[in-house]
Amino acid sequence: MDVLRRNNVTRAGRRDGPPLVLVHGFGCDQAMWRFVTPAFTGTHDVVLLDLVGAGGSDAGAYDPVRHAALEGYAQDLVEVLEALGTGPAVLVGHSVSAMVVCLVAAARPDLVERLVLVCPSPRYVDDEGYRGGFTRAEIDDLLTTMDDNYLGWSRFIAPVIVGRPDRPELGEELTASFCRADPAIARRFARVTFLSDSRADLARVRTPALVVQSREDAIAPPEVGRYVHEHLAGSRLVVLDTVGHTPNLSAPAQLVEAMRAWVGAA
Amino acid sequence: MTGGWDGGAVALLRLDRDGTVVDANRTVLRWTSRTRSATVGRVRLEQLLTPGGRIYWETHLAPILHAQGRVEEVALALATPGGRLPVLLTAVVGPGPDDTPGVEVALVVGAERSRYEREIDAARRAAEASAQRLRALHRTSTALAGAFRVSGVADALLLAASRELGAGAAVVRVLDEAGTPLERSTGDAASVAALTALLTTPAAAGPAQPHGPGGPVVVALPGRERTEGVLAVAPSAAAGADPLDVDVLEAVGRAAGTALERARLLDENVSVAHRLQLAMLATREPVDPRMRLATLYRPGVASLEVGGDWYDAFRVDEDRLALAVGDVVGRGLEAATAMGRLRSAVRAVAGPGARPAEVLDRADRFVTATGAGMLSTMAYAEVDLVTGRLRYAVAAHPPPLLLDAAGDVHHLWDGRSTPLGLRPADGVRGEAEARLAPGSTLLLYTDGLVERRDRPLSDGLDALAALAPRLRTALEGGRAGGLGGGLAALVSAALPDPGAERDDVCVVALARPGRGAPGA
Repeated sequence: MDVLRRNNVTRAGRRDGPPLVLVHGFGCDQAMWRFVTPAFTGTHDVVLLDLVGAGGSDAGAYDPVRHAALEGYAQDLVEVLEALGTGPAVLVGHSVSAMVVCLVAAARPDLVERLVLVCPSPRYVDDEGYRGGFTRAEIDDLLTTMDDNYLGWSRFIAPVIVGRPDRPELGEELTASFCRADPAIARRFARVTFLSDSRADLARVRTPALVVQSREDAIAPPEVGRYVHEHLAGSRLVVLDTVGHTPNLSAPAQLVEAMRAWVGAA
Repeated sequence: MTGGWDGGAVALLRLDRDGTVVDANRTVLRWTSRTRSATVGRVRLEQLLTPGGRIYWETHLAPILHAQGRVEEVALALATPGGRLPVLLTAVVGPGPDDTPGVEVALVVGAERSRYEREIDAARRAAEASAQRLRALHRTSTALAGAFRVSGVADALLLAASRELGAGAAVVRVLDEAGTPLERSTGDAASVAALTALLTTPAAAGPAQPHGPGGPVVVALPGRERTEGVLAVAPSAAAGADPLDVDVLEAVGRAAGTALERARLLDENVSVAHRLQLAMLATREPVDPRMRLATLYRPGVASLEVGGDWYDAFRVDEDRLALAVGDVVGRGLEAATAMGRLRSAVRAVAGPGARPAEVLDRADRFVTATGAGMLSTMAYAEVDLVTGRLRYAVAAHPPPLLLDAAGDVHHLWDGRSTPLGLRPADGVRGEAEARLAPGSTLLLYTDGLVERRDRPLSDGLDALAALAPRLRTALEGGRAGGLGGGLAALVSAALPDPGAERDDVCVVALARPGRGAPGA
């Protein structure tokens, strides 16, 4: 199997630069990084990919057993890194993929130079002595919401956006596919994302990590970001002055600045 | 927002860049039972939604809105004191009245569409589930059918349980060929222990038993004659794992029962055939100070071609020794019994008056008359222990190998004729002569020693020729084991890796001591 095609791996920037791999989270695809990528193409070998089931990945490679846990996605990422053969890379994971890149760093520290965790959460559901922000019933409500938007999830963007006169700056191809996903896989990925508990994995990470979070975030609240920072030995915490779970879209300049300071320090 | 729009069927909101509500019409406030002062400037849109909608908004809709400037006809639900209120949402990015950037949002009640989508979704998921079931069943059945021996079927069943059926742990208990309980498991120790405890419950012999919703399942593995075993499966603990499918497990249980029964019966047959074969081959071997003799039988592994290989070594008269090696077509008990009859027949028809070709002729008549050993192959040789004269005849069997005193190896390709029961066209079986000089060794063997599926026969003969000089080293070294030890080492080196599938092997080696060599 060609793992680079499986994960729709795209590369931009300098092939001789240090490798920087950006991994999107639940609900979107690699287009998530569109405002971040340009800041690094002049200096880095920038690698983008889609998780299996999202964006332009090969949905046929989805394995309900392998991908029933975040470890399966981490295995995919290890295979991509090995296929690229770039040597140790800076791994940037957004949302649930912050935990995926942590799993990769724990299992294969030889492949990872540094970590950047954007809005991470090791567990979304509350537990005794731990506040993740959600109850199990609330996650079930998400699954219901996704079921209600089954058709929309896969295609509601395309027919509406093509050739919008009010946003001419958006290319048609990109907008037609932005955040598209295989709905059946997306639903299963929602369960993996929001029902996993990766708290114990944090202690296994030895790679230096930058934790980036928003001032307010309904998905990964500030105390969760702090939890990650406190449980990752030698990590640094940066809080961006923005609201929402996707600073890579809402506050790209701040995120780029934090990342630059971190990878520059490498 | 003012005028006729305020309070109609459409709820209207205006958000700032952060998603905070900066204006809302009365419909919004009525649906959510909120006051204007507690809403405007105080909450963000996602806080009006149910928790699932909030996640969906943050992870999927907000990014799209950022990138594309709008989302349309999204089915969400408002959180109201009376419960979920299904709505359809459309949101468009656009400058507000004072040109500040923001988002305009419209909501209409949308229960109908949600119901419709859910019906489609339920039908689609049922179809997907049944397709997935069929795939899992098919893959599992294929794996079971390809397994050798009872233990192999048990291993294949465990592998399929974790790879195809979504098990986090599984334990299988079966009776092996000897009737001994055999237990195999996969998964962490605690889960395996819990499952093992379930196996002892009386219900374990019945149809599939789910232990509570989302819990482990115990499945019987029924054969035609008896229950062949029992399987206990625990669901995977992975966050995205599916619950166990009891119907699929029951079908897998039936397939596994059939596979176990087949493996057990075949294994029984194979194991009896091996024992019989060994018993029949264990006759007393001649001893003579003028020669050294070694014989060897290695039963096949995981192969159906067992039971028919044989060897023999006996005196024809005071100074002549006969060696024979043969391969009876067929397998299992049938081949083993035919082998025993043919071997006795060859001993009976050989004698001082019969040359090797005649021995084959007479064996031919025995095979034709009785049907036992039809189309068998064999090599027959007689050695004069005084002169070293070697006469041999080969009925479609691999050529005998002669290792001479100089260390050169010769495949004896002469004296060949058709398999037993199939008389040569001219009615005459061939025969040839060679010399077993002092210090040389003769080797007769069955095709299991040189034939492998992954290479041509000529390669196998070359490989054997390359290994044969080891026999001389073993003899000259005078080490413990001598010729017998050398023969065992030679056979081990010539065969594929231990455990790999292969046929039976029989070998006979006869050495004439060189001048000055230690005596026998």
